[in-house]
Amino acid sequence: MAIADYKKYLAENVLNERRTVTYRSIGRALRVHSTLAKQMLYDFHHNENNKKPNSVNATYIITGVQKTPELTSAANEAQDSFDDSNGIPPSSPYVNSSMPNQDAVTDEIAISSVLLVREEDLEDAKSTFQSIASIHVYSIQPTVLQDLNVLTDVATEMVSNHGQEDPLEYGKSWGMIQGNNVRRRTGGRPPVPAAAPAPPKTIIPAKRPIKSEEPIQPKTEPEEKAPEVEEATKREEAPASSKPTEKTAPPKQKGSIFSSFAKAKPKQKKEESATPASAVESAEPSGAEDGDASDEDEEPEELFPDSGKSAPAGTRESRKEREEKLRKMMEEEDEDEEMPDAAPSPEESKPIDEPPPKQAELKEEITVRGGRRRGRRQVMKKKTVKDEEGYLVTVEEPSWESFSEDEPAPPPKKKPAVSAPKGKPAAKPGQGNIMSFFSKK
Amino acid sequence: MASSTAGSEFLRPPSNQEFDTVCREPSHYNPLDTFQLPSGQDRHYQQQYGDMYFLRLAKLKPAVEEIAVDTWEGFSIAGENARRVERVLDVRQGELCWVAGTIYMDMPLKPNILDDLTKENYTLAPPPRPTYQDPANPESTQIMLEDESGRLRLTGSLLRNAQLCTGAIIAVLGTENANGDFEVIDIKVPDLPQQPRRWESEGVDSLQKGPSKGKIAFVSGLGITGTSSDTLALELLTDYLLGYTGNTSAEDAPPTASAITRLIIAGNSVGARMTVDANAETKKKSGPKKYGYDASAYNASPITRLDSFLAEILPSIPVTLMPGESDPANFSLPQQGIHRAMFPQARAYCAPPAAGEEKQEPGWFDSVTNPWEGDVEGWRLWGCSGQNVDDVLRYLNFADEEGNVGDGAGDVEARMRIMEAMLRWRCGVPTAPDTLWSYPFQTHDPFVMQACPHIFFAGNQPRFKTATIESDSPLKLNGADTEMTGIDDDNTSGPRVRLLSIPRFKETGELVLVDTETLEVEVVKFSTFAGQQEKQ
Repeated sequence: MAIADYKKYLAENVLNERRTVTYRSIGRALRVHSTLAKQMLYDFHHNENNKKPNSVNATYIITGVQKTPELTSAANEAQDSFDDSNGIPPSSPYVNSSMPNQDAVTDEIAISSVLLVREEDLEDAKSTFQSIASIHVYSIQPTVLQDLNVLTDVATEMVSNHGQEDPLEYGKSWGMIQGNNVRRRTGGRPPVPAAAPAPPKTIIPAKRPIKSEEPIQPKTEPEEKAPEVEEATKREEAPASSKPTEKTAPPKQKGSIFSSFAKAKPKQKKEESATPASAVESAEPSGAEDGDASDEDEEPEELFPDSGKSAPAGTRESRKEREEKLRKMMEEEDEDEEMPDAAPSPEESKPIDEPPPKQAELKEEITVRGGRRRGRRQVMKKKTVKDEEGYLVTVEEPSWESFSEDEPAPPPKKKPAVSAPKGKPAAKPGQGNIMSFFSKK
Repeated sequence: MASSTAGSEFLRPPSNQEFDTVCREPSHYNPLDTFQLPSGQDRHYQQQYGDMYFLRLAKLKPAVEEIAVDTWEGFSIAGENARRVERVLDVRQGELCWVAGTIYMDMPLKPNILDDLTKENYTLAPPPRPTYQDPANPESTQIMLEDESGRLRLTGSLLRNAQLCTGAIIAVLGTENANGDFEVIDIKVPDLPQQPRRWESEGVDSLQKGPSKGKIAFVSGLGITGTSSDTLALELLTDYLLGYTGNTSAEDAPPTASAITRLIIAGNSVGARMTVDANAETKKKSGPKKYGYDASAYNASPITRLDSFLAEILPSIPVTLMPGESDPANFSLPQQGIHRAMFPQARAYCAPPAAGEEKQEPGWFDSVTNPWEGDVEGWRLWGCSGQNVDDVLRYLNFADEEGNVGDGAGDVEARMRIMEAMLRWRCGVPTAPDTLWSYPFQTHDPFVMQACPHIFFAGNQPRFKTATIESDSPLKLNGADTEMTGIDDDNTSGPRVRLLSIPRFKETGELVLVDTETLEVEVVKFSTFAGQQEKQ
């Protein structure tokens, strides 16, 4: 295909825009084999200079064996002198038995060279070679290159322009040597076995511009996957939440339902439900990867973007909404069952819809940024002071504490032990340390 | 000159020829975690270093004593038989005896932690010195033999030519003179340890594997600074490794890159220091104090460039990356692998992080320790990024007449000898923890070589150099039959080690290739021809 186009491409780039084109940049641009690219450059260079001498300048790569002295003989020289020292033991006759004896055998080392040469110097350079294996055009440019290092800029540009083409996929057409057993992970990390929060997965696709193909997958996949996972979540959650001990997060305020309880808990659930699945998956591809160089199959990590926080920003909102809907539904179910149980506690016996007045004092400022939740929340803290009469007085006062994502959402308020009614002990483990609640199962 | 026909493949108009897909030879790779430090909380730095010397002595003393017994048993001077002495303090004056211990060298210019502490210099690493010897005052160097009982000062003309450094375990034969010094007549070293057969760790014989036609590529000192000045040779190297340079089968061509099964990068991949130096920093103190990431004090471009280099070659070739002195890893040996977080692109080829205890398959891109030991294509490799050789060189008197330790041919030769000496000492990094920073090992000394490698390499050397060494055949001091034992050695007789001094790529542009069948070495040199333009 490109055979016809290359003249146009080169004329545009070299003659009009006066840029430097290397065989790799044209190879990438036209998606041709490196050998073909070299031939294109040669042909263009040849033709243009026939039309108008010196209109195009070239650099060449010469490979072969260079004549030894001066240029490449550093190693050889050293070797020679070393050989000499072999003959003569450098010290006393005991040296053989004592010290590293210099019986090192050196042998002839073949040194081949890959030399980059300007067009003008081609003949000079050739004369330094003992034998030449190949010559090819490395780059062509409108004028003589003062500094060959500008060629690296071409390469940099090429990488930035074509960086998104997956080398595993296109390498073959460029003439790249194929590694048969290339193992590449397409995701970031495998799920952490512990209950630690999943690392934000979005970084991985974002930071790897090599693959234009793959970032698409992660984007689409979560979409397809999300319902599944949520179903799973729901299924698992329903029995869990139907346990009467659970206090179903007394509705503090609208924000905190999902931030303190719903958010923390389903996340935990999801990790549990996702881990076995992904473990299976991570086991499978490792076998498949060996055969298939470009393992485009989905990887375990892709499940994780679903878990709220780490989802890509775009899909995040909608998913959250969905999750919230689901949770609201569940919440409602729970309400019916649990209300009687919750009744004893004065604050919590209040209907869900109207926020209890006490909660109003405890505020929470949450900023969700880049999948992380941080902010400040007001908590009640006990403070013991000595008053004027020398009595210790314990007062409860609201104070602000800041939190960020990874701390387990603490109970929105700590209640003084005195005021804890019968229902309380159940509520505390349910909310304060939700992790331990689930680990009991 | 073959130039008329050469290159005809490329110097012609485009053709419609079909290009075959070239596939790389597979790589058999099994890194060993000899130098893996315990992670996290299990890594302590409170221990004393003394244990390392005792561990080393305990490990190597039997080996060296065995050799000493073989050689010196029945050795007599003027009717007096050499007696074996267990501890250095048991040496009696005027008695012909031999004893084994650790060498300790006291040298005038050697960095001394006590001096540093008294001068309150302990905040910065001492600047590297070319040598610890004082050329003006060679007598100030003292060589001592040490074991758990005490020290014995060694003397004698033999020592002038002997290459010794702190930490080597040797046995010495001689007598204590009137000064209380030990006059050395002969020295014995542990010599090469047992060498595993090829493929031994895989549990198969080389015959079962069949001949492989691969090559292992070594490069070191890429010295990437992130500026355009250093990357052209790197581009050529990339092209070559990826096979773009061409797969001509001509006789004199560089070996076809598809035979290269693995690239081992032996340290100093990053050239420039990534943080601006301390002086500049103190000047800037006037500004508002910032915490955390400071873009003005951190230059990410070298590591970014390294990352993209790796990401470019990794689709085609597996890479083992060792950190070096200038790389972003811990400074004290054994340096742990550069963390994959440094390579946002290349880390896709890493092995997944260890999940639990089970040992997993090494990654296609393996960021390993320095020093590093492992099996590649069945051969055992032991290599370091060069700190070990550089440091031992400072102990030895290789200064030329003018007293400067040059980079001449003699220097490279000295480096080869040092590498050989290390193998015969069975200690890859003898001067740690004395003058090379080291982790304070408590239970074992990993620098002691348990098995003799087939390829022993040191990175970041000034020149390329290679040699093969063999185990000493058991020599007798009467020397007459030494020739005889040397003749009839075939490949099975004893360990044979290929030594490689890998030059800095940034300075030499050299890539070292080792044949996986014959262990023969080739060099491919990447350079640009400084033509008329640059001469003007």
